[in-house]
Amino acid sequence: MKNLKLTTVIIISMIFGGYTMSAQLTGRQIVDKAYNIPTGDDKTSTLTMTLTNKQGKQRIRKIKQFSKDMGNVEKSIMFFQSPADVKNTSFMNWTYDSDKSDDQWIYLPALKKVKRISSDSKSDYFMGSDFTYDDLGDRKLDADTHKLLKTEKLNGVDCYVVESVSKDEDYMYSKTKTWIRKSNFVGMKKEFYDEDGELLKILTIKKVQKIKGFWVITNSEMKNVQKNHKTSMVLTNVQINTGVSDSKFSQRTMMRGM
Amino acid sequence: MEKILNKLLNFKWIIMIVILAISLLFIFEMKENTRMETDLDEYMPENHPAFIYSDKAESWFNINDGIIIAIQNKKGVFNTETLDTLKQLTKRFQKFEEINKDDVTSLYTADNIVGTEDGMDVKRFYKRVPKSKEKLENLRKNVKSNEMIYGRLISENEQVTVIIAEIGDDVFTQDFYSRILKTAEASETDDIKIYVAGRPIVEGTMALLGPADMKKMVPIVILVILVVLFITLRSFKGTLITLGVVFLSTIWAFGLMALVGIPIYAVSTMIPVMLIAIGVADGIHLYSHLQTFINHNPKASKRIVVKDMLKHMWKPVVMTSVTTAVGFISLLTSEVYPVKYFGIFTAFGVMMAMVFSLVFLPAAIMIFGLPKAKIIDKEEDKEGHSHSKLANNFASLVIKNKYISIIGTAAIVILSIIGMQEIWINSSFLDKFEDTSEIVLTDKFINENFGGTSSLNLILDADGKKDIFKDPEVLKLVNKMQKDVDEKLQVVGNTFSLTDYVNRMNKVMNADKEEFNTIPDSKNMIAQYLLLYEMSGDPENLNKVVDYDYEKLNVTFQLKKDDSNAINSALDILKTYEDDFKKHGITMNYAGSGYKGLVFTDLILEGQIKSLILSLLTIIVLISLMFKNIKIGLISSVPIIVTAAISFGIMGFLGIPLSTTTALLSSIAIGIGIDYAVHFLEQYRNNAANTDDKMHAAQKTMAHSGRAIIYNAIVVIAGFLVLMFSVFPPNRELGALVSLNMFTSFVGTLTIMLVLLYITNVYFKKGK
Repeated sequence: MKNLKLTTVIIISMIFGGYTMSAQLTGRQIVDKAYNIPTGDDKTSTLTMTLTNKQGKQRIRKIKQFSKDMGNVEKSIMFFQSPADVKNTSFMNWTYDSDKSDDQWIYLPALKKVKRISSDSKSDYFMGSDFTYDDLGDRKLDADTHKLLKTEKLNGVDCYVVESVSKDEDYMYSKTKTWIRKSNFVGMKKEFYDEDGELLKILTIKKVQKIKGFWVITNSEMKNVQKNHKTSMVLTNVQINTGVSDSKFSQRTMMRGM
Repeated sequence: MEKILNKLLNFKWIIMIVILAISLLFIFEMKENTRMETDLDEYMPENHPAFIYSDKAESWFNINDGIIIAIQNKKGVFNTETLDTLKQLTKRFQKFEEINKDDVTSLYTADNIVGTEDGMDVKRFYKRVPKSKEKLENLRKNVKSNEMIYGRLISENEQVTVIIAEIGDDVFTQDFYSRILKTAEASETDDIKIYVAGRPIVEGTMALLGPADMKKMVPIVILVILVVLFITLRSFKGTLITLGVVFLSTIWAFGLMALVGIPIYAVSTMIPVMLIAIGVADGIHLYSHLQTFINHNPKASKRIVVKDMLKHMWKPVVMTSVTTAVGFISLLTSEVYPVKYFGIFTAFGVMMAMVFSLVFLPAAIMIFGLPKAKIIDKEEDKEGHSHSKLANNFASLVIKNKYISIIGTAAIVILSIIGMQEIWINSSFLDKFEDTSEIVLTDKFINENFGGTSSLNLILDADGKKDIFKDPEVLKLVNKMQKDVDEKLQVVGNTFSLTDYVNRMNKVMNADKEEFNTIPDSKNMIAQYLLLYEMSGDPENLNKVVDYDYEKLNVTFQLKKDDSNAINSALDILKTYEDDFKKHGITMNYAGSGYKGLVFTDLILEGQIKSLILSLLTIIVLISLMFKNIKIGLISSVPIIVTAAISFGIMGFLGIPLSTTTALLSSIAIGIGIDYAVHFLEQYRNNAANTDDKMHAAQKTMAHSGRAIIYNAIVVIAGFLVLMFSVFPPNRELGALVSLNMFTSFVGTLTIMLVLLYITNVYFKKGK
């Protein structure tokens, strides 16, 4: 279990852009802009995560989540609303700007105890989904070498196509290919290639909304084409900068519920 | 019929050319279109409920057979060198094109989920190979305290660790195997030994070794048959022509298979075996008749000799071939397609052998000439009806001591029935290898150190009742069953299911206290543990033990042996839980290659027994019609029954298990038994028509048919005994059993059948 700053995470990762100035951006510059898109200070939303396996069976989870950027630490907390047997299970995650690894806690209502969790892998899958934590935004700009391949229209929208090759040979993706919208640097689509250079996953952004002046991806789908397994994430009730209090991100809240 | 055959003699060259041209076409077709089917799953009847379910379950839970690579260091594995070898090998196997990266499991890939005072820790056991003594000791402690790893990926004596690479059914090739071995060997050092085992290796090697061994042995078999045939026929031309009939019929059978696009299955390699054993018979009987005629009429022309042969012999040749073919066609009742094909194409081959015997063989004689006449010893040639004192004496000896034959046969049949009780069915692949072969020794080594190289999957199915496998009562029952099987059966090394994850999570979340290594009492607790595992461990692991809706569960039992007894002993205990699970609306089903192999063998056997009985009945009816006498029909079945009984009886006594090959062999009892019987009966009938003396008729028949039968038996037995020197045990069994069947068929025909003919007075008026 890892970092749960979901809203932020999705927003950053999806490669957002500010404003286009120059026509001659490099691949690295494009990705930099996409990574550093402005986000709000705090966010509240309901996440519906649907996992679909190759037989077409689904697991649907509804999660209420809060996150807040507190300068050098970003905190998030999430509460399961359904399915019923895990209702009120909660997670809390603190991510530090420094190299310090994340702090994580879990609360299982049946156990009635908050437990600290430590994990050492960044390529862990997020909540059993097809998204890894890295996919959700923990990736550092200079972990990859970026190259602008071409520009092309995707669904009628002008996009940069950037190829990012991992500098670490042992990384789970040998490379990724990202379609970034020219006008606002919002990511539209991303292909992930495995260690052998074969297509592993395709991320499709289905809906992007402007909320309180911030671009928020509210519907996305990650499909693992090798395992024929997919995860859909839909955000509803998205609220930004509502002034979530700092004290919300505590073990007491985890036990008490939101 | 006879007229047509005689007319055809005028077109000897055309016949020759047409037959050879068609054969060439078939050879060409075989070269183009023949393919071997080595994927054993292709043998299974797809629409059989057990297979349908197993195949579905295999895809639900991604059940695959695993190649096991064991790394042994007698100084222990917790040192930098061995751990580094394990890491490098794991990575190398992950890079194999045939292996999916995620399907490789070892201590290097495994997660260690442990409980701490205030929470839970998810870590790889190691990523960088630990170098300091302290770190190595720490790793050792972690492994020892994780029961999902200790004893499973690392042996309890800490000297062996394994990498398991699961592969699909259809990826095994000789090249793949040798690359695995090469990769493994490259990592061996003075201290580190590496072993490769697992069902895909055993299955794959067997699929390759069997036919390869056959390829080596068959030319020797043919050579021996050639030599012995030459000795018996004393004619080089005759030998070649007789074998020509066998070859042509084999070519046509396989050519037709290629033409209609049916691949060669392992059982198809039995087709030439059958055709050699059966096809040679026609030739020997024809030549035997021809020789007798020439010896008596040394001056007769080719045409007259051949005409006489056809006149006397076309009927028995047609009768034997038709009855044999019908016997094989009864294999169509089998549910197993390769067996059906085996039946059809052997029947086709037998019919072709008949055509060639009656058309090709006479044409060839017309072209290449007759064998030389032999000088007849006038003293032995009493009244021109017999040529051998031996035959006469033997016939009268048999008849005088008829009770010995009857009692002896009865005793042997009773003994055989007793022996049959001991017969066991074996679907094991491993048992097909020498006990001292590398593959068996490796398997033994891994079984001594780990849970087992074979597995049985129990699938608990609540048929759509969601979340039932989060119910503590159900999981406790599963847990109890697992423990029960594990404790009661030596052959079950370990068991694995969702309960192991739940037990572990419960322990971890309670500060690793052993008393929490149990299934918790609350359903929500279980659900929350599983959610936690899904988020912190590899969710793929859970997909292998439970389905998405928690209504189907996969329980794996690891077995130290892959034979049917081992699987059945586990099934027996599991079945006692059927009622308990039924109360929860859960049914028990099974999956996996071991189980399918078991069902498959049962199916073959059941089909074989059914078709044996069916063909026996059909043959009795056919012969009764042909000879217009039901007594004859019944008598003719005696050698078949005796042959089959002895064959199964001896298998029982010697502990030779029934398997696909050995079961199909009983067909040979029919094919050959009936040939002998028909030739003998036809001769006896003809001889009886010319005399009132039963003994005289018997003696004459013995001299004529009896001799041909003995020759036939000697030729085929000599040929198949060669297989006893095969390096592949199943081929040895094949050689021994074919020889045995030939022997008992001929003894049965010449003794008990003759006695029965004699005492029932068929073809003679009563009282004479």
